[in-house]
Amino acid sequence: MAEAVLRSLRDGCLEGEHAPALSLQDSLLSPLASHALHHFLTSLLSLVANGKSQSRGIVLVAFDRSPSFYLDLFKRAGFDTSTVDKGTRILDCYTDPVGWNDAVHQSGQNSLITLVKNVKDVDKLLCSIVDLAKEFGGEEKERVVVAIDSVSHMLRHAPLSSVLRLLSNLRCHEKISSLFWLIHTDLHEPKVVGSFEYISTMVASLEPIVQLPDYANGNSGNITSLEENYSKAKFNVRLKRRNGRVKLFCEELLIEQDSVKFSSVPSISSVVTQNLIPKVQFNLQLSDKERMDRANVVLPFEHQGDGRNIEIYDGRRSLGESEKDPSSTKTGGLSGQNKLSNNNNNQSERGEIHYIRDSDDEQADSDEDPDDDLDI
Amino acid sequence: MATGAGQPLKTTRPSSFSRASSPSFSPSSSSSASPSLAPGVRIGANGAAFVSSGIPDLDRILGGGFLVGSVVMVMEDGNAPHHLLLLRNFMSQGIVHGQSVLFAGPTTEPRFFLGTLPSPVVQKEGVKIMHDTSDVQDKEKGLRIAWQYKKYFGEQNTVDSHNRDKKQEFSSDFDLRKPLERHLLNSQNIECISTLDAIDLTKLQNHCSTFVSKLSRKDAVNLNAGRIAIQSLCAPQCGYFEKDWDILSFIRSLRAMVRSSNAVAVITFPASVLSNSISKRWQHLADTLLSVRAIPDEDKDLAKLLTGYQDMVGFLHVHKVAQFNSQVPVILDASTFSLKLQKRRSLVLERLNQAPVEGSSGVSYGTSGSCSSSTGSPLDF
Repeated sequence: MAEAVLRSLRDGCLEGEHAPALSLQDSLLSPLASHALHHFLTSLLSLVANGKSQSRGIVLVAFDRSPSFYLDLFKRAGFDTSTVDKGTRILDCYTDPVGWNDAVHQSGQNSLITLVKNVKDVDKLLCSIVDLAKEFGGEEKERVVVAIDSVSHMLRHAPLSSVLRLLSNLRCHEKISSLFWLIHTDLHEPKVVGSFEYISTMVASLEPIVQLPDYANGNSGNITSLEENYSKAKFNVRLKRRNGRVKLFCEELLIEQDSVKFSSVPSISSVVTQNLIPKVQFNLQLSDKERMDRANVVLPFEHQGDGRNIEIYDGRRSLGESEKDPSSTKTGGLSGQNKLSNNNNNQSERGEIHYIRDSDDEQADSDEDPDDDLDI
Repeated sequence: MATGAGQPLKTTRPSSFSRASSPSFSPSSSSSASPSLAPGVRIGANGAAFVSSGIPDLDRILGGGFLVGSVVMVMEDGNAPHHLLLLRNFMSQGIVHGQSVLFAGPTTEPRFFLGTLPSPVVQKEGVKIMHDTSDVQDKEKGLRIAWQYKKYFGEQNTVDSHNRDKKQEFSSDFDLRKPLERHLLNSQNIECISTLDAIDLTKLQNHCSTFVSKLSRKDAVNLNAGRIAIQSLCAPQCGYFEKDWDILSFIRSLRAMVRSSNAVAVITFPASVLSNSISKRWQHLADTLLSVRAIPDEDKDLAKLLTGYQDMVGFLHVHKVAQFNSQVPVILDASTFSLKLQKRRSLVLERLNQAPVEGSSGVSYGTSGSCSSSTGSPLDF
């Protein structure tokens, strides 16, 4: 559930651990991750304002959109200016990222926004983020949430390793409570996306609800249904838990007027788990109890006593297999085959074999020729 | 100390070895009497020497342990830290046997990792004796009943069975809840290096070559083994992260160094952060290749499919097993195992067993376990 993700971001990190990090991914087929990002931003701000989260504020590093867009977003979401003033700081990497425009200066009008003129210097960016984080309350223990609008945009200016270093430094910084970012997967190679997934604790990817029809084979299908992809998406989340397991779930994301709604999907396909299922075997080994039960079975041999096979009755080759029946319950596949010998009657509790010799019923071997019965 | 007089050795062994399993120096039990065996090294089939991986089940699966002179690679899963379990057991085993250990990790203070190493479980005498008697009983039973599935029982015992009592000391069970004793960690033959801020791998390479030069084989007179453990060699946080070819050259040179000495190297790496072609090259450079995978939590399908799902911590897949001095490859019956914590303290590996199928329709979910996340095709039994 998206609630679980939000809770994890809200609760932040425990002492001695790294901060939880969420990686929001989308692609061209379903480009709704920015809506999800805005949803998380507004939800977190309300939690911060109510004092319910570990962090005291949000530091937003804006690459893709201007800071005024975000201020508008908060206003539309119903936050008043004092909440926004107390709870957010924005690092403006949108207006003049590489310092081409000399006319743009740090304007004094809005103390929330700090202008960055050189985004290539990732270390300086880290310092700016930490400085902004320190602005929230003077006490040592105060932490903030950091949101990066688009890591894809950041990768245009700085090499991958420095961006990854920035994120992992943020994760271990004492002032950071939790961290989330946006990345567009089809703009980068798989290993880049893989590296971001590696350093995150939660990965949320948005997938299209309606698959693309096969244009290459001349099957154009219904194009209008593709429009649904711009208002709905599948929200797949992978959470890394502390016990070493992965929690997977899937929801549907719906864009409404100005907000985003998450609803649960009725049918969770097990395609996700298919990749993880390895080859399994039938259990052909016996546990100790089963071994003892098997040893307790009295075998219907002519001569008992010294454990050597003096005489095995000829027609009963299947004896060896079917007497296994009572002692092991785990060999599911074998039990079906052993109904052949109808003279053996096995009791499952104590492993007895009731054996009736065929020869007692028949006459002694007469000189009958079975072929005499044929009527040719 | 049964080491040759002329060999200058740097290993200093801590005095109080009584708690830990004592290495055996009894020359009579080994089949080849002339080389005096160093602690923790066992001679196996084809004259190859093994050291224990720290997990008795894994030793059994790999046919004796990690071959001395080989490079073992473990492919990590970014979702779970199971590779650390393997590394910890490996390093603890080395420390307990007094072997020199070199550890490199992508943290600022790799020494802290030593604090998480488990200490061995104290073996009781009664357990050892029980093993022998049950063995004899099994043999007797074999004569009584012609049991056609007997060949599936127990792994092929390629190791000398005379070494039965030595086996307990070769590999110990580790208690993951108890940390290793301080005095063992303070010995001089444990080195820790940080790879976090390194711009390139020359420093690590120099450390490895000095480490390995102390362990060279000289006419097999003295087998004193050493262990190199490198955690997350290509972690994204490291300074040399994008220098793919440099890292490959380092691994190649490490492999050459280790092959001509008595060291074993275990390298873990997250395969998902490498491009496909580079990842393939890494896998090819390994002598023994393992991968660990995380288990999805609260997955009802998996719980129905496997027995013991609740206790499982993760999966271990064996891709390649090293084989020296022989042209016969190692073919395993099963290559995927589940990692479980027995009584929450020791690590065991178990085969995956299908849970009893209810009803007549036994739907088979068998998919070949592949560590790259491509879809496997379902197998029909």
